[in-house]
Amino acid sequence: MKLNTEFMRETFIASLGGVPKTMLITILTLLVSIPIAFAMALSKLENKKVSSKFVTAYVSFIRGTPIVLQILFIYSLLPSTLNHLIKDVFGLSVNVFKMNKIVYAIIVFSLNNIAVLTELFRSALGTVGHGQMEAAMTVGLTKRQAYRRIIIPQALVAALPNLCNTVIGLIKNTSLAFLMAVQEITAISKMKAAAGYYYIEAYLMIALIYIIVCTVVQLLFALIEHQLSAYKKRLAV
Amino acid sequence: MLFSVKNVSKAFKENQVLKKVDLEVNKGDVVVILGPSGSGKTTLLRCIDFLEKADGGELDFDGIHTDLSHASGKTIEKVRKKSAFVFQNYNLFANKTALQNVTEGLTVGRKVPKAEAIEIAKKALDKVGLSDKYDSYPVQLSGGQQQRVGIARAIAVNPDIILFDEPTSALDPELVGEVLKIMRDLAGEGTTMIEVTHEMKFAQDVATKVVFMDGGVVVEEGTPKEIFTTPKEERTREFLMRILPDFNYSI
Repeated sequence: MKLNTEFMRETFIASLGGVPKTMLITILTLLVSIPIAFAMALSKLENKKVSSKFVTAYVSFIRGTPIVLQILFIYSLLPSTLNHLIKDVFGLSVNVFKMNKIVYAIIVFSLNNIAVLTELFRSALGTVGHGQMEAAMTVGLTKRQAYRRIIIPQALVAALPNLCNTVIGLIKNTSLAFLMAVQEITAISKMKAAAGYYYIEAYLMIALIYIIVCTVVQLLFALIEHQLSAYKKRLAV
Repeated sequence: MLFSVKNVSKAFKENQVLKKVDLEVNKGDVVVILGPSGSGKTTLLRCIDFLEKADGGELDFDGIHTDLSHASGKTIEKVRKKSAFVFQNYNLFANKTALQNVTEGLTVGRKVPKAEAIEIAKKALDKVGLSDKYDSYPVQLSGGQQQRVGIARAIAVNPDIILFDEPTSALDPELVGEVLKIMRDLAGEGTTMIEVTHEMKFAQDVATKVVFMDGGVVVEEGTPKEIFTTPKEERTREFLMRILPDFNYSI
């Protein structure tokens, strides 16, 4: 078999055009899901009865269903539901079906990511010993100050390796946004491939782009981890 | 009187750990609480600083009067700002240097300007003999050094009372001395302290009052001389005989 290198070069360049969209979905999803997941993790840890039950149910539901199913569900259900709400309940004349498809992608990935991150943050906060909070209280810090200055900085270091995994998982999952007709990396290459039946070439290029993007993200995380975990080094540097 | 608690009660599930305990502390007192493990001494100390919520009891502390079980957030904050706590396992902030561990309660807890806080913190660390460890993180310090930072963190805020929860129990035997020496110095300077400990020698030499607890009640209290040479209660005698091999009481 001979690979069409000219097509590969073209597809690579065209698909690079999808990188900003992939990153946009990733970053917006993280911005939405990180604060919510953190609040949910805290509510579970602080044992607020009602909300922690809700959080447990939510996390089990999301973790128990494939993300493809969640995408199909939301993408078939949400637009018509929104349409009904806006038109019939609020009486507004907004065309939901013309809304940017990225919004749906961000909603699905956020719903999914919140569940993953809630568990991630919960376990990371759990690695910080109870004594740290007690010491903070006894020196006169409020609970909020203790979290911000003592607990979260330590929990973050514990969370980083898993957070890196999650972000990379999210970047790769955004390829499923093509199911919602979002023009990201995978969608662009697939369309190019379909035009000339050069599927193998296109898939190779998709893989290459994801490898590059994910490697950059991993390096970034390694750098952040090195910076933030300075206090764990046994010998002063 | 500087400080007193009355009728402190605390149960963990079915287990009644404290049964109406009273404790009085005058300014400059070094009160040492002794007792077998499970006697409730650590729980008492933790209830005083609201690390454990007592089921009942009252606290009087330098003009603050409160119910221990229904104290408001504001009251708890006031009590904590006038006191300091030294933990058995140090509990230094792992992500802060020795100096930052000491300044934290000053700059954040008490709104002391940063430059002034650093000045105070350095003095406190010098006092515990750690002038060369300002920028070390807890993980880079030995147990004894960590506990000395813990004590520096406590004295830096100039508290009216310092609560010590078995400050030397987690240390290697050869490191106990360096911590006890600092505590002796503090006692010599008139620092008011309540200490839960197993260091009998320290209790004998330094304490102004020894409190013996067992089974969640104060069995007996008195001067070190009274407790160690003429204990009135049988339970006190049994405890001392177990702990001090050369214990000889006069009848």
